[in-house]
Amino acid sequence: MPKYTVSEEGSYRSVMVELDRGERFTSEAGAMFRASDNIEIDVTTRSRGTGGLLSGVRRMMSGESFFLSTYRTRGGGPGEVGLAPTLAGDVVVIECSGIGGWLCAGGSYLGSSDGLSIDTEFQGFRGMLSGESLFFLDIEGKGQLLVSAFGSVKEVEVDGALTVDTGHVVAFEDTLEYTVGKAGGSWVQSFLSSEGVVMHFSGQGKAYLQSHNPDQFGQTLGGLMPPRS
Amino acid sequence: MDYTIEGNPDYGHLVVSLEPGETFVAEGGSMAWMSHGTQINARLLGGFARALVRKVVGGESLFVGEFSHPEGGQVAFSPAVPGTVHHRRVNNDKLILTGGSFMACTNGVSLGTQFGGLKSMFSGEGLFFIECSGVGDLFFNSYGALIEKDVAGDFTVDTGHVVAWEPTLRYTIRGMGGLKSTLLSGEGLAMSFSGVGKIYLQSRTMPALAGWLIPFG
Repeated sequence: MPKYTVSEEGSYRSVMVELDRGERFTSEAGAMFRASDNIEIDVTTRSRGTGGLLSGVRRMMSGESFFLSTYRTRGGGPGEVGLAPTLAGDVVVIECSGIGGWLCAGGSYLGSSDGLSIDTEFQGFRGMLSGESLFFLDIEGKGQLLVSAFGSVKEVEVDGALTVDTGHVVAFEDTLEYTVGKAGGSWVQSFLSSEGVVMHFSGQGKAYLQSHNPDQFGQTLGGLMPPRS
Repeated sequence: MDYTIEGNPDYGHLVVSLEPGETFVAEGGSMAWMSHGTQINARLLGGFARALVRKVVGGESLFVGEFSHPEGGQVAFSPAVPGTVHHRRVNNDKLILTGGSFMACTNGVSLGTQFGGLKSMFSGEGLFFIECSGVGDLFFNSYGALIEKDVAGDFTVDTGHVVAWEPTLRYTIRGMGGLKSTLLSGEGLAMSFSGVGKIYLQSRTMPALAGWLIPFG
Protein backbone atom coordinates (compact mmCIF):
# COMPACT_ATOMS: atom_id res chain seq x y z
CA MET A 1 0.00 0.00 0.00
CA PRO A 2 1.36 3.46 -0.87
CA LYS A 3 2.23 5.76 2.00
CA TYR A 4 0.44 9.12 2.11
CA THR A 5 1.70 12.29 3.76
CA VAL A 6 -0.73 15.19 3.66
CA SER A 7 0.90 18.57 4.34
CA GLU A 8 -0.54 19.71 7.63
CA GLU A 9 0.16 23.42 7.60
CA GLY A 10 -1.93 26.27 6.32
CA SER A 11 -4.83 26.52 3.93
CA TYR A 12 -3.18 25.07 0.83
CA ARG A 13 -2.82 21.32 1.36
CA SER A 14 -1.09 18.83 -0.90
CA VAL A 15 -0.18 15.15 -0.56
CA MET A 16 2.96 13.11 -1.13
CA VAL A 17 2.35 9.54 -2.32
CA GLU A 18 5.23 7.09 -1.78
CA LEU A 19 5.07 4.05 -4.06
CA ASP A 20 6.87 0.75 -3.50
CA ARG A 21 8.56 -0.91 -6.44
CA GLY A 22 6.02 -1.97 -9.03
CA GLU A 23 3.16 -0.13 -7.36
CA ARG A 24 0.74 1.92 -9.44
CA PHE A 25 -1.29 4.99 -8.62
CA THR A 26 -3.89 7.06 -10.47
CA SER A 27 -4.66 10.76 -10.22
CA GLU A 28 -6.68 13.44 -11.89
CA ALA A 29 -4.54 14.59 -14.85
CA GLY A 30 -2.65 17.74 -14.02
CA ALA A 31 -2.63 17.16 -10.27
CA MET A 32 1.00 15.99 -10.20
CA PHE A 33 3.34 18.80 -9.20
CA ARG A 34 6.48 16.75 -8.59
CA ALA A 35 7.67 13.19 -9.06
CA SER A 36 10.90 11.28 -8.48
CA ASP A 37 12.77 10.57 -11.72
CA ASN A 38 11.95 6.85 -11.71
CA ILE A 39 8.21 7.52 -12.06
CA GLU A 40 6.62 6.68 -15.39
CA ILE A 41 3.51 8.69 -16.27
CA ASP A 42 0.75 7.61 -18.59
CA VAL A 43 -2.29 9.74 -19.42
CA THR A 44 -5.56 8.06 -20.26
CA THR A 45 -8.69 9.76 -21.51
CA ARG A 46 -11.77 8.71 -19.79
CA SER A 47 -14.95 10.43 -20.66
CA ARG A 48 -18.43 9.75 -19.61
CA GLY A 49 -21.01 9.06 -22.24
CA THR A 50 -20.20 7.67 -25.64
CA GLY A 51 -19.78 9.04 -29.11
CA GLY A 52 -17.11 9.74 -31.66
CA LEU A 53 -14.22 12.12 -31.70
CA LEU A 54 -16.46 15.12 -32.19
CA SER A 55 -18.53 14.49 -29.10
CA GLY A 56 -15.31 13.82 -27.25
CA VAL A 57 -14.04 17.24 -28.24
CA ARG A 58 -17.36 18.77 -27.31
CA ARG A 59 -17.21 17.14 -23.90
CA MET A 60 -13.70 18.41 -23.50
CA MET A 61 -14.80 21.94 -24.33
CA SER A 62 -17.60 21.79 -21.81
CA GLY A 63 -15.21 20.57 -19.16
CA GLU A 64 -17.04 17.29 -18.81
CA SER A 65 -14.30 15.05 -20.03
CA PHE A 66 -12.28 13.34 -17.41
CA PHE A 67 -8.60 12.64 -17.85
CA LEU A 68 -6.58 10.44 -15.54
CA SER A 69 -2.84 10.05 -15.09
CA THR A 70 -1.37 6.74 -13.98
CA TYR A 71 2.01 6.49 -12.31
CA ARG A 72 4.26 3.49 -11.83
CA THR A 73 7.80 3.08 -10.60
CA ARG A 74 10.43 2.07 -13.10
CA GLY A 75 13.41 -0.08 -12.21
CA GLY A 76 13.72 -1.71 -8.83
CA GLY A 77 13.32 1.10 -6.34
CA PRO A 78 10.51 3.00 -4.66
CA GLY A 79 9.32 6.36 -5.96
CA GLU A 80 7.20 9.28 -4.98
CA VAL A 81 4.53 11.48 -6.55
CA GLY A 82 3.35 14.82 -5.12
CA LEU A 83 -0.25 15.77 -5.86
CA ALA A 84 -1.81 19.22 -5.48
CA PRO A 85 -5.42 20.25 -6.10
CA THR A 86 -6.38 23.33 -8.13
CA LEU A 87 -8.22 25.22 -5.42
CA ALA A 88 -7.10 26.19 -1.94
CA GLY A 89 -8.24 23.85 0.80
CA ASP A 90 -7.99 20.48 2.51
CA VAL A 91 -6.84 17.12 1.17
CA VAL A 92 -8.24 13.96 2.76
CA VAL A 93 -7.26 10.29 2.42
CA ILE A 94 -10.36 8.06 2.50
CA GLU A 95 -9.85 4.39 3.33
CA CYS A 96 -12.14 2.30 1.13
CA SER A 97 -12.80 -1.07 2.74
CA GLY A 98 -14.00 -2.82 -0.41
CA ILE A 99 -17.28 -3.73 1.24
CA GLY A 100 -19.21 -0.76 -0.11
CA GLY A 101 -18.34 1.78 -2.77
CA TRP A 102 -18.01 5.54 -2.74
CA LEU A 103 -19.37 8.30 -4.93
CA CYS A 104 -16.95 11.17 -5.39
CA ALA A 105 -17.83 14.55 -6.91
CA GLY A 106 -15.94 14.96 -10.20
CA GLY A 107 -14.30 18.19 -9.08
CA SER A 108 -13.16 16.69 -5.76
CA TYR A 109 -11.34 13.62 -7.06
CA LEU A 110 -7.57 13.91 -6.59
CA GLY A 111 -6.28 10.35 -6.85
CA SER A 112 -6.74 6.68 -5.98
CA SER A 113 -4.66 3.58 -5.32
CA ASP A 114 -4.49 0.72 -7.79
CA GLY A 115 -7.11 -1.45 -6.07
CA LEU A 116 -9.87 1.02 -6.80
CA SER A 117 -11.86 1.14 -9.99
CA ILE A 118 -13.17 4.46 -11.24
CA ASP A 119 -16.33 4.51 -13.26
CA THR A 120 -16.62 7.81 -15.06
CA GLU A 121 -19.68 6.75 -16.98
CA PHE A 122 -22.00 7.56 -14.13
CA GLN A 123 -24.21 10.32 -15.44
CA GLY A 124 -25.45 11.78 -12.21
CA PHE A 125 -27.85 14.59 -12.66
CA ARG A 126 -27.79 17.79 -14.64
CA GLY A 127 -28.77 20.87 -12.71
CA MET A 128 -31.98 22.48 -13.80
CA LEU A 129 -32.44 25.87 -12.21
CA SER A 130 -29.02 26.42 -10.77
CA GLY A 131 -26.94 25.71 -13.84
CA GLU A 132 -24.79 23.49 -11.67
CA SER A 133 -24.24 19.98 -12.88
CA LEU A 134 -23.61 16.95 -10.78
CA PHE A 135 -21.02 14.53 -11.96
CA PHE A 136 -19.96 11.73 -9.67
CA LEU A 137 -17.27 9.12 -10.02
CA ASP A 138 -18.31 5.67 -8.90
CA ILE A 139 -15.41 4.27 -6.86
CA GLU A 140 -15.36 0.54 -6.09
CA GLY A 141 -12.82 -1.79 -4.50
CA LYS A 142 -10.32 -1.75 -1.66
CA GLY A 143 -7.72 0.98 -1.31
CA GLN A 144 -7.31 4.67 -0.68
CA LEU A 145 -9.21 7.50 -2.32
CA LEU A 146 -7.70 10.99 -2.19
CA VAL A 147 -10.13 13.90 -2.32
CA SER A 148 -9.66 17.65 -2.22
CA ALA A 149 -12.01 20.31 -0.92
CA PHE A 150 -12.52 24.00 -1.48
CA GLY A 151 -12.03 25.23 2.07
CA SER A 152 -12.20 22.86 5.01
CA VAL A 153 -13.62 19.35 5.05
CA LYS A 154 -16.24 18.13 7.47
CA GLU A 155 -16.70 14.42 8.01
CA VAL A 156 -20.34 13.63 8.72
CA GLU A 157 -21.77 10.33 9.93
CA VAL A 158 -25.24 10.48 8.40
CA ASP A 159 -27.76 8.60 10.48
CA GLY A 160 -31.24 9.40 9.27
CA ALA A 161 -31.44 12.36 6.96
CA LEU A 162 -29.35 15.31 5.87
CA THR A 163 -29.79 17.90 3.12
CA VAL A 164 -26.68 19.25 1.38
CA ASP A 165 -26.28 21.90 -1.31
CA THR A 166 -24.83 20.08 -4.33
CA GLY A 167 -21.79 22.37 -4.40
CA HIS A 168 -20.73 21.26 -0.93
CA VAL A 169 -20.67 17.49 -1.52
CA VAL A 170 -17.17 15.98 -1.76
CA ALA A 171 -17.75 12.22 -1.44
CA PHE A 172 -20.11 9.79 0.27
CA GLU A 173 -20.55 6.08 0.89
CA ASP A 174 -22.96 4.41 -1.48
CA THR A 175 -24.79 2.86 1.46
CA LEU A 176 -26.42 6.27 1.64
CA GLU A 177 -29.45 6.80 -0.48
CA TYR A 178 -30.04 10.17 -2.03
CA THR A 179 -32.53 12.09 -4.05
CA VAL A 180 -31.80 15.31 -5.90
CA GLY A 181 -34.38 17.99 -5.44
CA LYS A 182 -35.34 21.41 -4.24
CA ALA A 183 -34.14 22.97 -1.00
CA GLY A 184 -37.32 24.64 0.17
CA GLY A 185 -40.97 23.78 0.29
CA SER A 186 -41.53 24.59 -3.37
CA TRP A 187 -39.48 25.13 -6.51
CA VAL A 188 -40.60 28.76 -6.54
CA GLN A 189 -39.38 29.32 -2.98
CA SER A 190 -36.13 27.47 -3.68
CA PHE A 191 -35.55 29.49 -6.80
CA LEU A 192 -36.35 32.85 -5.22
CA SER A 193 -34.06 32.19 -2.27
CA SER A 194 -31.34 31.08 -4.74
CA GLU A 195 -31.07 27.76 -2.94
CA GLY A 196 -31.42 25.84 -6.21
CA VAL A 197 -30.68 22.15 -6.16
CA VAL A 198 -29.77 20.05 -3.14
CA MET A 199 -29.16 16.40 -2.33
CA HIS A 200 -31.35 14.78 0.31
CA PHE A 201 -29.38 11.96 1.93
CA SER A 202 -31.00 9.21 3.92
CA GLY A 203 -29.89 5.97 5.55
CA GLN A 204 -26.54 5.41 7.20
CA GLY A 205 -23.06 6.14 5.99
CA LYS A 206 -20.22 8.57 5.91
CA ALA A 207 -20.15 11.77 3.89
CA TYR A 208 -17.46 14.41 3.38
CA LEU A 209 -18.61 17.98 2.87
CA GLN A 210 -16.63 21.07 1.92
CA SER A 211 -17.08 24.40 3.68
CA HIS A 212 -17.12 26.40 0.44
CA ASN A 213 -18.84 26.03 -2.92
CA PRO A 214 -16.44 26.17 -5.92
CA ASP A 215 -19.26 26.93 -8.41
CA GLN A 216 -20.46 29.86 -6.36
CA PHE A 217 -16.94 31.29 -6.12
CA GLY A 218 -16.50 30.76 -9.86
CA GLN A 219 -19.77 32.48 -10.67
CA THR A 220 -18.93 35.42 -8.42
CA LEU A 221 -15.53 35.80 -10.03
CA GLY A 222 -16.83 35.15 -13.54
CA GLY A 223 -19.46 37.85 -13.11
CA LEU A 224 -16.69 40.39 -12.64
CA MET A 225 -14.90 39.43 -15.83
CA PRO A 226 -15.80 40.34 -19.42
CA PRO A 227 -17.26 37.53 -21.54
CA ARG A 228 -14.75 35.58 -23.58
CA SER A 229 -14.57 36.81 -27.13
CA MET B 1 -30.51 29.98 19.02
CA ASP B 2 -26.98 28.59 19.29
CA TYR B 3 -24.37 29.32 16.68
CA THR B 4 -20.72 28.50 16.02
CA ILE B 5 -18.42 30.14 13.52
CA GLU B 6 -15.99 27.56 12.14
CA GLY B 7 -13.01 27.83 9.82
CA ASN B 8 -11.90 31.40 10.55
CA PRO B 9 -9.81 33.20 9.39
CA ASP B 10 -9.52 31.57 5.95
CA TYR B 11 -12.67 29.49 5.50
CA GLY B 12 -15.17 31.03 7.87
CA HIS B 13 -18.65 29.57 7.84
CA LEU B 14 -21.55 29.51 10.23
CA VAL B 15 -23.44 26.63 11.85
CA VAL B 16 -26.75 27.54 13.49
CA SER B 17 -28.93 25.39 15.76
CA LEU B 18 -32.56 26.40 15.43
CA GLU B 19 -35.10 25.74 18.16
CA PRO B 20 -38.65 24.88 17.07
CA GLY B 21 -40.40 28.06 15.99
CA GLU B 22 -37.23 30.13 15.62
CA THR B 23 -36.52 31.76 12.29
CA PHE B 24 -33.17 32.80 10.92
CA VAL B 25 -32.50 35.00 7.89
CA ALA B 26 -29.63 34.39 5.46
CA GLU B 27 -28.35 35.67 2.13
CA GLY B 28 -29.91 33.79 -0.79
CA GLY B 29 -27.83 30.83 -1.91
CA SER B 30 -25.64 30.69 1.21
CA MET B 31 -27.05 27.47 2.70
CA ALA B 32 -24.41 24.70 2.64
CA TRP B 33 -26.17 21.89 4.48
CA MET B 34 -29.12 21.51 6.82
CA SER B 35 -31.18 19.05 8.83
CA HIS B 36 -33.83 17.28 6.84
CA GLY B 37 -37.14 19.08 7.07
CA THR B 38 -35.77 22.63 7.32
CA GLN B 39 -38.22 25.12 5.84
CA ILE B 40 -37.03 27.90 3.56
CA ASN B 41 -39.13 30.91 2.66
CA ALA B 42 -37.93 33.58 0.31
CA ARG B 43 -38.39 37.10 1.60
CA LEU B 44 -38.07 40.29 -0.36
CA LEU B 45 -35.41 42.59 0.99
CA GLY B 46 -36.38 46.21 1.42
CA GLY B 47 -39.84 46.16 -0.16
CA PHE B 48 -40.95 45.41 -3.69
CA ALA B 49 -40.26 48.75 -5.38
CA ARG B 50 -36.73 48.98 -4.02
CA ALA B 51 -36.07 45.34 -4.77
CA LEU B 52 -37.15 45.88 -8.33
CA VAL B 53 -34.89 48.91 -8.73
CA ARG B 54 -32.04 46.94 -7.18
CA LYS B 55 -32.57 44.11 -9.61
CA VAL B 56 -33.03 46.20 -12.72
CA VAL B 57 -30.38 48.83 -12.04
CA GLY B 58 -27.94 47.03 -9.83
CA GLY B 59 -28.42 43.40 -10.84
CA GLU B 60 -28.25 42.58 -7.15
CA SER B 61 -30.14 39.80 -5.45
CA LEU B 62 -33.72 40.45 -4.44
CA PHE B 63 -34.35 37.87 -1.83
CA VAL B 64 -33.11 36.53 1.44
CA GLY B 65 -34.04 33.09 2.76
CA GLU B 66 -35.95 32.65 6.00
CA PHE B 67 -35.02 29.35 7.66
CA SER B 68 -36.98 27.47 10.29
CA HIS B 69 -37.44 23.92 11.47
CA PRO B 70 -40.64 22.65 13.11
CA GLU B 71 -38.80 20.19 15.39
CA GLY B 72 -35.54 22.13 15.63
CA GLY B 73 -32.45 21.44 13.57
CA GLN B 74 -29.10 22.63 12.27
CA VAL B 75 -28.31 24.75 9.24
CA ALA B 76 -24.83 25.67 7.96
CA PHE B 77 -24.21 28.80 5.88
CA SER B 78 -21.16 29.57 3.82
CA PRO B 79 -20.19 32.77 2.00
CA ALA B 80 -19.42 32.68 -1.73
CA VAL B 81 -15.83 33.77 -1.15
CA PRO B 82 -13.27 32.41 1.30
CA GLY B 83 -12.45 34.63 4.26
CA THR B 84 -13.63 35.53 7.72
CA VAL B 85 -17.15 35.38 9.15
CA HIS B 86 -17.83 37.92 11.89
CA HIS B 87 -20.56 38.11 14.52
CA ARG B 88 -21.86 41.41 15.83
CA ARG B 89 -24.62 42.01 18.32
CA VAL B 90 -27.03 44.68 17.10
CA ASN B 91 -28.66 46.46 20.00
CA ASN B 92 -30.71 49.42 18.82
CA ASP B 93 -27.71 50.73 16.95
CA LYS B 94 -27.05 50.64 13.24
CA LEU B 95 -24.51 49.14 10.91
CA ILE B 96 -24.24 49.66 7.15
CA LEU B 97 -23.04 46.68 5.08
CA THR B 98 -21.78 46.86 1.51
CA GLY B 99 -23.48 44.67 -1.11
CA GLY B 100 -21.79 41.30 -0.83
CA SER B 101 -20.98 41.45 2.88
CA PHE B 102 -24.31 40.50 4.41
CA MET B 103 -24.51 36.86 5.43
CA ALA B 104 -27.19 36.19 8.03
CA CYS B 105 -29.07 37.52 11.05
CA THR B 106 -31.62 36.57 13.68
CA ASN B 107 -35.19 37.66 13.16
CA GLY B 108 -34.93 40.69 15.47
CA VAL B 109 -32.52 42.47 13.15
CA SER B 110 -34.31 44.64 10.62
CA LEU B 111 -32.76 44.86 7.22
CA GLY B 112 -33.30 47.88 5.05
CA THR B 113 -31.74 48.90 1.81
CA GLN B 114 -30.08 52.24 1.47
CA PHE B 115 -29.55 53.87 -1.87
CA GLY B 116 -25.96 54.96 -1.87
CA GLY B 117 -26.69 57.86 -4.17
CA LEU B 118 -24.95 58.63 -7.40
CA LYS B 119 -21.59 58.60 -5.72
CA SER B 120 -21.95 54.91 -4.93
CA MET B 121 -22.37 54.15 -8.63
CA PHE B 122 -18.74 54.99 -9.06
CA SER B 123 -17.57 53.23 -5.95
CA GLY B 124 -17.67 49.70 -7.36
CA GLU B 125 -19.61 48.65 -4.29
CA GLY B 126 -22.97 48.44 -5.98
CA LEU B 127 -25.83 50.86 -5.75
CA PHE B 128 -27.27 49.77 -2.48
CA PHE B 129 -26.06 49.22 1.00
CA ILE B 130 -27.84 47.11 3.59
CA GLU B 131 -28.78 48.94 6.75
CA CYS B 132 -29.04 46.72 9.83
CA SER B 133 -30.89 47.91 12.93
CA GLY B 134 -33.10 46.52 15.69
CA VAL B 135 -31.97 43.92 18.24
CA GLY B 136 -30.33 40.61 17.43
CA ASP B 137 -27.30 38.79 16.08
CA LEU B 138 -25.79 39.81 12.77
CA PHE B 139 -23.25 37.85 10.71
CA PHE B 140 -21.22 39.27 7.86
CA ASN B 141 -18.18 38.15 5.89
CA SER B 142 -15.04 39.45 4.26
CA TYR B 143 -12.97 38.23 1.32
CA GLY B 144 -9.61 37.56 2.93
CA ALA B 145 -8.99 38.80 6.46
CA LEU B 146 -11.38 41.09 8.31
CA ILE B 147 -9.83 44.23 9.75
CA GLU B 148 -11.64 46.13 12.49
CA LYS B 149 -10.80 49.79 13.01
CA ASP B 150 -12.05 52.39 15.45
CA VAL B 151 -12.08 55.71 13.66
CA ALA B 152 -11.90 59.04 15.43
CA GLY B 153 -11.28 61.81 12.95
CA ASP B 154 -10.60 61.20 9.28
CA PHE B 155 -9.99 57.87 7.64
CA THR B 156 -9.64 57.02 3.95
CA VAL B 157 -10.20 53.55 2.46
CA ASP B 158 -10.20 52.11 -1.06
CA THR B 159 -13.91 51.52 -1.79
CA GLY B 160 -13.51 47.83 -2.63
CA HIS B 161 -12.07 47.07 0.80
CA VAL B 162 -15.01 48.43 2.79
CA VAL B 163 -17.17 45.75 4.43
CA ALA B 164 -19.22 47.71 6.96
CA TRP B 165 -19.34 50.87 9.02
CA GLU B 166 -21.31 52.49 11.80
CA PRO B 167 -23.42 55.34 10.42
CA THR B 168 -22.18 57.65 13.15
CA LEU B 169 -19.46 58.03 10.56
CA ARG B 170 -20.09 60.20 7.51
CA TYR B 171 -18.38 59.60 4.22
CA THR B 172 -17.68 61.10 0.84
CA ILE B 173 -16.35 59.34 -2.25
CA ARG B 174 -13.39 60.82 -4.04
CA GLY B 175 -10.31 59.88 -6.03
CA MET B 176 -7.28 58.75 -4.12
CA GLY B 177 -5.26 61.63 -5.48
CA GLY B 178 -5.78 63.94 -8.40
CA LEU B 179 -7.49 62.78 -11.58
CA LYS B 180 -4.18 61.67 -13.02
CA SER B 181 -3.25 59.45 -10.12
CA THR B 182 -6.81 58.07 -9.92
CA LEU B 183 -6.61 56.98 -13.53
CA LEU B 184 -3.06 55.75 -13.51
CA SER B 185 -2.36 54.39 -10.05
CA GLY B 186 -5.00 51.70 -9.98
CA GLU B 187 -5.97 52.97 -6.58
CA GLY B 188 -9.36 53.92 -7.97
CA LEU B 189 -11.86 55.53 -5.70
CA ALA B 190 -11.72 56.04 -2.00
CA MET B 191 -14.30 56.50 0.71
CA SER B 192 -13.28 59.26 3.08
CA PHE B 193 -14.85 58.71 6.47
CA SER B 194 -15.02 61.26 9.23
CA GLY B 195 -16.43 61.28 12.73
CA VAL B 196 -16.34 58.64 15.45
CA GLY B 197 -17.28 55.03 14.88
CA LYS B 198 -16.19 51.57 13.87
CA ILE B 199 -15.33 50.44 10.37
CA TYR B 200 -14.71 46.90 9.05
CA LEU B 201 -12.40 46.29 6.11
CA GLN B 202 -11.42 43.27 4.03
CA SER B 203 -7.83 42.52 3.07
CA ARG B 204 -8.65 41.42 -0.51
CA THR B 205 -11.25 42.32 -3.16
CA MET B 206 -12.85 40.14 -5.84
CA PRO B 207 -12.78 42.86 -8.56
CA ALA B 208 -9.01 43.09 -8.08
CA LEU B 209 -8.65 39.31 -8.49
CA ALA B 210 -10.85 39.37 -11.58
CA GLY B 211 -8.90 42.29 -13.00
CA TRP B 212 -5.66 40.43 -12.44
CA LEU B 213 -7.03 37.32 -14.20
CA ILE B 214 -8.51 39.07 -17.26
CA PRO B 215 -5.22 39.38 -19.22
CA PHE B 216 -4.80 35.61 -18.92
CA GLY B 217 -8.33 34.80 -20.18
